[in-house]
Formats: sequence, C-alpha cells, structure tokens
Amino acid sequence: MTAMIETIVTVFVVIGVFFAVVSAIGILRLKDVYSRAHASGKSATLGVIFIMLAVFIHFLTQGEMNAKILLAILFLFLTAPVASLMVTRSAYRNGVKLDKNTITDDLKEMYDTDQNQSN
Amino acid sequence: MPFQILINVLLAILWMFLQNEYTFVSFLCGYFIGILILIVIRRFLKFDFYLKKVWAIMKLIYLFMIELIKANIDVVKVVLNPKQDHQPGIVAVRTRLESDFEISILAALITLTPGTISMDFSDDSKTIYVHSIDVPDKEVMIKDIQDSFEKAIMEVTK
Amino acid sequence: MFDTILIVALSALSVALVLLFIRVMIGPSTQDRILALDAIGVLLVGFIGILMILQDTSVFSDIVLVLTILGFVGTLTLSKFLERGVVIDRDD
Repeated sequence: MTAMIETIVTVFVVIGVFFAVVSAIGILRLKDVYSRAHASGKSATLGVIFIMLAVFIHFLTQGEMNAKILLAILFLFLTAPVASLMVTRSAYRNGVKLDKNTITDDLKEMYDTDQNQSN
Repeated sequence: MPFQILINVLLAILWMFLQNEYTFVSFLCGYFIGILILIVIRRFLKFDFYLKKVWAIMKLIYLFMIELIKANIDVVKVVLNPKQDHQPGIVAVRTRLESDFEISILAALITLTPGTISMDFSDDSKTIYVHSIDVPDKEVMIKDIQDSFEKAIMEVTK
Repeated sequence: MFDTILIVALSALSVALVLLFIRVMIGPSTQDRILALDAIGVLLVGFIGILMILQDTSVFSDIVLVLTILGFVGTLTLSKFLERGVVIDRDD
C-alpha cells in the first residue's frame, strides 16, 4: 500500500517538475514577450498544480486533510490567467515589439482607430 | 436554487448529528446522501434540480482539463522544437456573451487552453484580442473558441 | 528510492530557477523580467511543496499560500504601474 502511494506521488512530482522545467526553458528560448507568456502562464501553473496535488495526496494518506494546499491550487488557477493578461497588455501598450515571424496583428488596428478618433 | 442547497446542507448536518461524528468526512457523506434524497424527491419540487447546473459546471471543468493538458503538450512541442519557426499572431475574437462575468471567465479559459492567451479587450468588451503561438488558419481558430467554450459557458449561466 | 527521486526533482527545479534568473538578467524589456519573476514565484511554491513531502511536515502550507498571493499581487501591481504610471486609478 505504502509503495503504491509513493509511486503515485512520485509520478505526479515527476510530471510536475517536467512541466516546470519545460516552462523555464521556454521562457529562456522563445523569442518575444508574448510567446514567453504562453510558457509561463500555462506550463508553470500546470506543473506546480501537479506538484501540489502530489503533496495533497501524500498528506491525505497520512490521515491529514490539508485544505490549505487545495486553496493554494485554487489561487494558482485563478491568478495565472489574470497575471499573464496584465503582463502582455502592459507590454503591448508600452510598445514592446512583436516577433518578426508574426503574421497577423488585429490589435494594432484597434489602437490605430482609437488614435484617429481622438485626433 | 439557494433553497435546495440549504436543504442539502441541513441534511448533511443532520447526518453528522446522527452519526455523532463531527468531521469533514461525515459531512461529505451526509451531503451525498442529501443529494440522493433530493434526486428522489425532485418531481415534487417546483423549480429545477440544482445539480443540473452543477453538472453543466462539471462538464465545463472537464472540457477545460482536457484542453489544459492539450495546451501543455502543445507548449512542450513548441519549446523543445529545435527550429523556432512557429508563426505567432494576434487575432480578434468576437463573443456573443453578455455579462462581464461571463466574458472574464471566457478570457481566463482562453488563456489556459492550447496556444492562446487573451491579451486585451475592446472598449465595449465584446471583442477579446487573443495572442496565439501558432496561427495556421485564423478562421478555424476563431470558430473553435466560439464553438467549444462559448457554448459551455452559456449552458452554465443562461 | 523515494527520497532520491525527490532530491533529483529539487535539483531539476533549481536548474529551472537558474534559467529563469538568466532571463531576469538579460530580459530586453521590463515585462520580460516581470514574467520571469512571476514564474520564479510560482516555481518556488512547487519547490516548497516538494520540501514538505521530503521533510514530512505540513508547517509550510501557510508559506505556500502567502507566496502564491504575494507573487500574484506583485506581478499585477508592477505591470499596472508600467502600463499607466499609477497602481490605483482614481477616475473611472
């Protein structure tokens, strides 16, 4: 029984660490802020959620219901999209350049029409 | 609907008293038994059974989990690809959702799904600007978002 | 065996943190740095989680919560400040 629980916890931890490391590599390797936000907003969050689930299972099988860890998972879920939205929006409004591979940019039209109206 | 939840919680507390065990586990047990009782008597209730809505939420969460896993496999592929030749782009997605709450949920879901993050809203907050890490076809992407998530969210909040 | 795997996981996370620090150093724009710092905060939560399993104690669970919330608030205020020059807008 203990061996099985340890196996489950290990699998969760390994998956989580894998996603976390991939997100770190992505943040280092991808070319512009907007692509990096993909790596940080998704992979890092999912990786850490897997790790926290492993922690929760570990303590649950020892007869200790630790609801704070579930709360931490919930907060991570709720906050990750908002954080990446705010960062990318401030980057765009501050005029950080898009990568040269970018093929469409619908947002530019909106800001252009905005400025035309105000002029 | 709040009335039904109240009945359910009351049944759970009653179960706790009957068991004489004041723990979270026995509360959960009681809650499930309360749900069973509500299912049995649902024909006599004047309003809709609230679990239908809970079921819709569960379906949304399920859809969302699947998409989240797919999203991460996508990111892994892009990151570990030796050639960085993906073509990112910003796409405007019109939404038919009405309230602010629905739109913010849609934006959050878009962020956590394959290859897309929501970046900005238009002034009337009916258009979400989405940055996608790889846009082979713009129209397909827009249709995808509108078909899968908008429908699921509408089912929950209609 | 179990402990060994956890220690290897901790070392892998440390490597990831170092990679993120490189991005914080070189990041061309300030938003890059904020993004990397945010990711560092999130990864630290995972780091502490693995430490909790390793040391078999749940006293760190408060720290996990506080770190999650503080990381989020920090990211939000920094990017908002960069966008508008103020953190709390007064006019609506």
